[in-house]
Amino acid sequence: CSSTSDDADLATTDIPAEELYNQGLALRNEGRFREASDKFAELDRYYPYSEYARKSLINVAYVNYSRSKYPEAINAAKRFTTLYPGNPDSAYALYIIGQSYFKQIPDVTRDQQNTQRALSAFGELVQRFPDSEYASDAETKIRATEDQLAGKEMEVGRYYLKRDNYVAAINRFKLVVLNYQTTRHIEEALFRLVESYYALGVINEAQTAAAVLGHNYPDSQWYKDAYNLLQTGGYSPESDGGSWISNAFKGINVL
Amino acid sequence: VAPEGVPVIGIKAAQAAVASRIQVEGTTRIEDATVESYITIRPGQPYGPSDVDESLKALFATGLFEDVSISQSGGTLIVRVVENPIVSRISFEGNDKISDESLTAVVRTTERSVLTKAKVQSDVQNILEAYRRSGRYRASVEPKIISRDNNRVDLVFEINEGDKTGIERITFIGNEKYSDSRLRDVIRTRETGLLGFLRTTDTFDPDRLDADQELIRQFYYRHGYADFRIVSAVADLDREENVFYVTFTVEEGDQYTFGDIDVQTSLSAVDPEELRGVVRTDSGDTYDSLDVEKTLEDMTVEVSKQGYAFAQVRPRANRDFENRTISITYFIEEGPRAYVERINVRGNDRTRDYVIRREFDLAEGDAFNRVLIDKAERRLKNLRFFKEVRVTTSRGSAPDRVIINVDVVEQPTGEVSFGIGYSTSDGVLGDITIQEKNFLGRGQFVRAKFGLGESQQTYEFAFTEPFFLGRRISMSLEAYQRSYDANDFRQYDETTTGGSVAFGLPLREDELRLNLYYAIFNRDVELDNTTINNINVSAAIRDGLGTVLTSAPGYSIVYNTLDQNFNPNEGIYAKFDQQIAGAGGDAQYIRTTAEVRAYEEIYSDWGLIGQLRAGGGYITSIGNDLRVQEQFQHSQDWLRGFQTRGIGPRDALTGDALGGRWYAHVNAEGRFPFPWIPKELGLSGAVFADAGALWDVDPSINDCVTTPASCGFVASVPNVPSDTAYSGDTVQSNGFAPRASIGAGIQWISPFGPLRMDFAWAVLKEDEDKTEIFRLSGGTRF
Amino acid sequence: CFTTTLTHGHVISPDTVQDVQIGSSREQVELVLGSPSTTSRLEGDAYYYISQVTETTAFLPPEVVEQRVVAVYFDEEGFVRDVGFYSLEDGKVVDILTRKTRTGGADYGFLTQILRGAQNPSLGL
Repeated sequence: CSSTSDDADLATTDIPAEELYNQGLALRNEGRFREASDKFAELDRYYPYSEYARKSLINVAYVNYSRSKYPEAINAAKRFTTLYPGNPDSAYALYIIGQSYFKQIPDVTRDQQNTQRALSAFGELVQRFPDSEYASDAETKIRATEDQLAGKEMEVGRYYLKRDNYVAAINRFKLVVLNYQTTRHIEEALFRLVESYYALGVINEAQTAAAVLGHNYPDSQWYKDAYNLLQTGGYSPESDGGSWISNAFKGINVL
Repeated sequence: VAPEGVPVIGIKAAQAAVASRIQVEGTTRIEDATVESYITIRPGQPYGPSDVDESLKALFATGLFEDVSISQSGGTLIVRVVENPIVSRISFEGNDKISDESLTAVVRTTERSVLTKAKVQSDVQNILEAYRRSGRYRASVEPKIISRDNNRVDLVFEINEGDKTGIERITFIGNEKYSDSRLRDVIRTRETGLLGFLRTTDTFDPDRLDADQELIRQFYYRHGYADFRIVSAVADLDREENVFYVTFTVEEGDQYTFGDIDVQTSLSAVDPEELRGVVRTDSGDTYDSLDVEKTLEDMTVEVSKQGYAFAQVRPRANRDFENRTISITYFIEEGPRAYVERINVRGNDRTRDYVIRREFDLAEGDAFNRVLIDKAERRLKNLRFFKEVRVTTSRGSAPDRVIINVDVVEQPTGEVSFGIGYSTSDGVLGDITIQEKNFLGRGQFVRAKFGLGESQQTYEFAFTEPFFLGRRISMSLEAYQRSYDANDFRQYDETTTGGSVAFGLPLREDELRLNLYYAIFNRDVELDNTTINNINVSAAIRDGLGTVLTSAPGYSIVYNTLDQNFNPNEGIYAKFDQQIAGAGGDAQYIRTTAEVRAYEEIYSDWGLIGQLRAGGGYITSIGNDLRVQEQFQHSQDWLRGFQTRGIGPRDALTGDALGGRWYAHVNAEGRFPFPWIPKELGLSGAVFADAGALWDVDPSINDCVTTPASCGFVASVPNVPSDTAYSGDTVQSNGFAPRASIGAGIQWISPFGPLRMDFAWAVLKEDEDKTEIFRLSGGTRF
Repeated sequence: CFTTTLTHGHVISPDTVQDVQIGSSREQVELVLGSPSTTSRLEGDAYYYISQVTETTAFLPPEVVEQRVVAVYFDEEGFVRDVGFYSLEDGKVVDILTRKTRTGGADYGFLTQILRGAQNPSLGL
């Protein structure tokens, strides 16, 4: 009942782990990822508790990731972080998990689950291995995923604004202003607040939003639009100190 | 706790042995240190039988060891272990229907993990369960362990799948009011038949059986059987035959009608009388749970219009068992004052967020209204994009705030289908349809269809946007080209190329719709060269040759409560359509058509479905003369027993059918499944009676036939041999004369579309009519 | 019979608004009017209660027929400083800008859907 591949198995058992590992590395460097992945898997099978098993596991994750086989890469990386939590290579494993989810992020009109998972993986990487070589790239990826999540909130906010559901729209844009201040959507969120409050007739909030937009992003196109919009009613952006928008910005000097 | 080093009181000193050294034997892969770490006995420390027992238990708990024994010889404590082997390879043999990947997912033992008997046994059960799920109850699994060197083993699961366990028979016990075949149409589980290989719904699936019970319960509640109860739903397996017998035992109870209906409210400013207009459940009607539900919905919207967004409408029913009525009081009261904080849409990997969100009438920030949420859930399910739709609520950030979570599981919505049909009038015709219901996740419908037959070719393209400009108005575009060659029933080739844009407006949920449309098409009618100089082609037909552009706005009102569009069992379909040709183009006429179809199960023992159809139409010119090709023509769809174009006004000289400005028909039909043939084959019989008439040609056509000169056909007709005089004749059977026929037919729902054979005898006819007894037709109606 | 009316946002009945006097505390306001549609400043310098009634007749665009905003302004200690009303007349007509900030993420076009659809075509039965 044993198929031919089994016999090949028997032949390689006596190759020491280290040699198997080097063969895998060689294959990996030549870019022959599929064979490399089989070689590492084999090593992991024959010397499960050896030093090389650990190294080959992280390599299996890397190789699958470069073949964009994301589910397999994520599984291997996750097994690595659970088996060897303290090991410095766990940073790289977390990086691979984050990257694998990051590559599967859909556009903002669809479920952002992968964005969320990428964010938490990169977040854990930065928090547990702040000085790892992957921390800086993780930081940029965190900003990108937050930007995507903010984009989703904006998408739904605009959906409600178009249908004159001002309450729904304001609360969505408000969420972006409070939680996603470092993303590119902050300018548009402020502008949409000007539009919503203005349509509602609550002029002081509209003026405040426009003032904050002007103060923090003076040359942004969104500010020009906000300014023109208020002009149509003869109003001008001036901040009433108490408004929540200016306070939300007090703590952070965005410039 | 006893102080250090002093033996615990009660343990006799003799038993408290002491070991100076611990020695581990039998380990290959696992280090001795690991084994020692699990032993509670320390060298030089006294220990008792409980310590030994504890150590054994700890070692076994690791699952690493097949056997452990602890003994003492001299001063050393000997711990002998036999390690559990490590699994090096897992493989499956003999599995064809379920892939290795899905089996590995089901099996808990993994490569490089420790092999334990218990885990292998439970894996065998998991695999068997997987096969039961896919409808194979006769599968068997045999685990084989091949030992390799240094305590590694290969684990092979030898699987014998056995063939598919079908469902031999679905029987219902206790159902008098509705026949077995009618109820089989309600549930989704199907009997396995010849076409078993094509279907997946004919394998036994316990979840589907539960869903079926709910379907039957809903069916009875909708037909007045408020006391309906499912006594049992049993599926017993016949091992030898490898088939299931599914038996539903039901207790129908009596059919209830609505007693008196009342509307009461505790809200001061709400006037119950006003709300009475919205009630759908009128006393005397048969009880229908869906009508009650829809009344709740309409009433809630009506009340919230008057500013009571939190009103809750609850039906209070009380039964009168003697005369079997249920009277319902709709009670409107103040519901909990809560607001929707946020609507989360999750699981939509393909469908866009707004396609789901727009089905909700309420927005974030609005008052929380259970009925509107149920309505949205029902709408989402009707989209047929999702395998599963679950709308749940969770607490918001404040006590009066609620978060709505919409979780969807998507299903494939694309379809490629083939149809082959045959009709005596058009010969063999085949078609291929490519269709996508959720195009690019935008909820748009796209379909392309190519038809090819002996005497016809059709190309059709359709697109529908259900939410035009973000509002609940459907906008459909259609473009088509249909070309028919001349055959024994039609003297001329006809190619129509056209398109239309239509706006659909729901007047009442999905029952009543108003469609406003504009159609434009160009019809090119030519005599093929064999008949061109054939003298006996009616002058009226010749007059209508050439290309005619028709540009016609129009509207139609459609009322549709059919339970299913194809082979409906109950419900009514009615359509009134009026098309005004003349906004440009050559044709100028008003064309009015109407059609009503009603279905009902009239005799439950046989599962006899009665169908009553009536229809008619009138077309009149409002400018240019009407052409023969524009008039109504007889078709076997509305009057069987006659050849296509077999009745109606006819050119006496040439015998060509000219069609008429009026047509009307009435049809009665009874459809029944053949009792002894399994329903799965899709064979059903029918008996029918048709009556219809086609009459009154347009005066201009009449003149053209009687005096060809009036429509430009002088004695010598261009390219007609000059020596033949072309004299006109009269139009036969131009007056109203009802024809009738009775007959029987067999319908077979083949995998390539339905085929229908009809035998009809004309019992009432005019002598010029051309009858036809046998007729074969195919292709889906809708 | 073609018009459908929908009420959106907060339900404010005129008599309850009278109960909110200057000087009453934040909790009293929440007790009377419920939690606000949206708040101003993090710990709520102003509560906004927004309600709206729209009417849609047949295929015409939905029309806002009534819109009321009740603004409750608090002072530093959190007591009501002022109560403001805005109605439909105050609302301004705004044609909403269609430009939007670019976002990432893989969108899929016609082909990917067809290919993915082709993996499991259903046999139209």
